[in-house]
Amino acid sequence: MKHIKKISFWFLVLFLLILICLPGIWIFVSAFRPNPEILSKPANWIPDRWTIHQFTQMFSINGYVSVPAFKYLMNSIIISSVSTVIAITIGMMGGYAFARFNFRGKNKIFLGLMLARAVPGISLSLPLFILFAKLGIINTSFGVILVYVAMNVPFTIWLTDGFFRQIPKEMSEVARTDGCTRLQAFWNVELPLAGPGIGAAAIFAFLLSWNEYALASIITRTVHSKTLPIGMMDYLDEFTINWAGMCAIAVVMIVPALILTFIVQKHLVSGLTFGGVKG
Amino acid sequence: MAKVELKNLTKKYGEVIAVQNMNLTISDNEFLVLVGPSGCGKSTTLRMIAGLEEISGGEIFIRDQLVNEKDPKDRNVSMVFQNYALYPHMTVEENLGFSLKIAKVEKEEIEKRVRDAVQILGLEELRKRKPSQLSGGQRQRVAMGRAIVRRPDAFLFDEPLSNLDAKLRTQMRTEIKKLHQKLKTTIIYVTHDQVEAMTLADRIIIMKDGYIEQIGSPIEVFTKPANIFVATFIGSPPMNIIEGDVIRKENKLIIKIDDEINLECPQKIQSSLENKNKIYLGIRAEDIMPKETSDYTNSNWCFQKSINLAEPLGTETQLFFTIKNKEIISRMYNPKDVKVGDKINFQIDSNKVHFFDAETEKTIF
Repeated sequence: MKHIKKISFWFLVLFLLILICLPGIWIFVSAFRPNPEILSKPANWIPDRWTIHQFTQMFSINGYVSVPAFKYLMNSIIISSVSTVIAITIGMMGGYAFARFNFRGKNKIFLGLMLARAVPGISLSLPLFILFAKLGIINTSFGVILVYVAMNVPFTIWLTDGFFRQIPKEMSEVARTDGCTRLQAFWNVELPLAGPGIGAAAIFAFLLSWNEYALASIITRTVHSKTLPIGMMDYLDEFTINWAGMCAIAVVMIVPALILTFIVQKHLVSGLTFGGVKG
Repeated sequence: MAKVELKNLTKKYGEVIAVQNMNLTISDNEFLVLVGPSGCGKSTTLRMIAGLEEISGGEIFIRDQLVNEKDPKDRNVSMVFQNYALYPHMTVEENLGFSLKIAKVEKEEIEKRVRDAVQILGLEELRKRKPSQLSGGQRQRVAMGRAIVRRPDAFLFDEPLSNLDAKLRTQMRTEIKKLHQKLKTTIIYVTHDQVEAMTLADRIIIMKDGYIEQIGSPIEVFTKPANIFVATFIGSPPMNIIEGDVIRKENKLIIKIDDEINLECPQKIQSSLENKNKIYLGIRAEDIMPKETSDYTNSNWCFQKSINLAEPLGTETQLFFTIKNKEIISRMYNPKDVKVGDKINFQIDSNKVHFFDAETEKTIF
């Protein structure tokens, strides 16, 4: 009886796992097979023929480019990286300030930042579109970076604030009596201790920018600024949809995100501050 | 090695006064202990000296230099914290050498000074370890080592032994005392533990609610407490405080404790009590001695009480009884079996009784 219970439990787990992973697996499989096979009925689960045609075409190895995926990839990398670096730099300083200093209106400002996160991004799309159009930064990487920084700063502040709070304030105090300026104490002691946390916050911010679709679809127009999620829509023609191409570009998007997620997972388990204080 | 001077030092948090008009000179090589209950302002004072807390008023001089506006790093004092605050990402060696590295001291010099500190504190085996691999006592030693290598003008200790277990605390206490004798540095030490204060200090400062209650050598504050607060704070068990009415009877002054106990006022204090109706008597537990006499007639300050509780401690037994619903403790040396309810004759050593004013709670005599 006990065995049956155990076996049925694991079957349930397996079933749920397949259910969750199926769309992902389908995308991976479809990226490596010809388009007609994707549409075959009944569904062909294991491809008859494997091909990297979509990838070679996407990255224009044959000289013919239907969708400039490489340009989109570069846009995505530049926009996500730059916005992440800016957001984490500002967020880190903000988080440190919230964790360490007392100033007038501290709680209200913090609440305001959190409320900003609660506003659905898409509701800002029209005002943003008009504003950016008037400023002349529509359809530029700069414009997208600006939006992503604004989107990520409250989030990184919130995360890094928590990480800095975990570090006893005596750490910086003892560093300061050890001859450090406040900045040196931050740089030599608090930053290394909060490092894994800040890294995790940065990766979260990067992933948010990397995957963002709604706002980018409004403020990017051409190959100059389009990111991968928006570029994916290039496979939608008036009469046909290139499913295989779409799946291939999705794979290009998913792989870095997957790798980074694994890194975050590892870094979030941080017991680094243990031992510095009583224990 | 320097003199530290505080002039009218004041710290306020909004309306709350943490330290009020503190005036104090800590001389070169002195071991000064600030002691008091939590919230009395002792740690705040220390943090103000270190520069970690802004001051609301007054002046701080270290080595005759005004340091009010100076950053902690420019004051050349080292602080040891209660929770050690070792840098967890550095080894013991790196922890010790960190301040010198920041000060851009030459590498050979850093190595030499770290080696010296490691030797003084017996940390040779642990040089390459991270703080998480050390025990509490070892961490405390590293924290002290980190303070030593800088060769500061003064050491500031903020309850450094509070996180250690009782046995280790006693051991580290001795080590700190030895260290002071070896290094001959000014030490300002904050604790709430009066035993630590008594054993370590050259001079003790007892604080309460931001004010200094008394300054003096350990023996001084023990034998001549300035008021009831100091009397009950210093010494273990705390001094017994008993209320008494002053009664005039046939040209004699009698101190009436309760219906059974009427004590004749000693000659030397009579003049001080003449215009008072009420006083507090402070008597240490060892000065209320159980006596094997049948005399409990109040002459020679003898009386009889039945025991509520007896706590044998080996070398002594503490006897608890009540006077006017207040618990009184007596120390019985040469212990013998005592049962609850036993009637015991006690004698108070009238030469050692402290008299406090009923209104001001200050010592009368």
